[in-house]
Amino acid sequence: MGCQQLAAVTYPDPNVCFSVENNFIPLQIDFNKNKALVRRYAVKWTPTIIILDSDGEEHHRFVGYLPPEDFIAQIVLGKGKVEFDLDRFEQAMQCFQEILVRFPKADAAPEAQYYLGVSKYKASHDPKELKLGLEFLQRDYPSSEWTKKAQVYSLIP
Amino acid sequence: MGKQIQWETSLTTTKAKAKKGKKLILMDFYNNL
Repeated sequence: MGCQQLAAVTYPDPNVCFSVENNFIPLQIDFNKNKALVRRYAVKWTPTIIILDSDGEEHHRFVGYLPPEDFIAQIVLGKGKVEFDLDRFEQAMQCFQEILVRFPKADAAPEAQYYLGVSKYKASHDPKELKLGLEFLQRDYPSSEWTKKAQVYSLIP
Repeated sequence: MGKQIQWETSLTTTKAKAKKGKKLILMDFYNNL
């Protein structure tokens, strides 16, 4: 049912189409027919969306139907995580910032805020960026698990 | 009718296109049932 909703609602959305085509090569795998890839990526439920680099290495995934805005937020988050994993922190920051500006109410936004703070720290080696990131999380997403995860940064002197 | 997403069906072809175009891969596992 989730796959049919993605096909009927999310994928035809012009903004989704633009975001996908501009940043990704899109690949659809039939869960019932391609058992090798299902095993390789340990997929257990559909729809499962996985963001890979061009070597096929996984960097981000999400499971289940999402409406267009949340879907775009998740794929931009995935792009940011690829950049982060490859130590391209400036590019990662742009992605995380884009989510916070365009989709501040999306479920992906607190994670983007968390990784924005971490990316700023990795780029600058200044621990105050982690504390600043925590302050934004506490202000904008007080009940998020990402705020809980960042709570430890309050111990930074 | 607006533009539609043009899906690939082979990971090998997709990886080659991603390398050539300096893009990432969005892989959707779907189920028609």
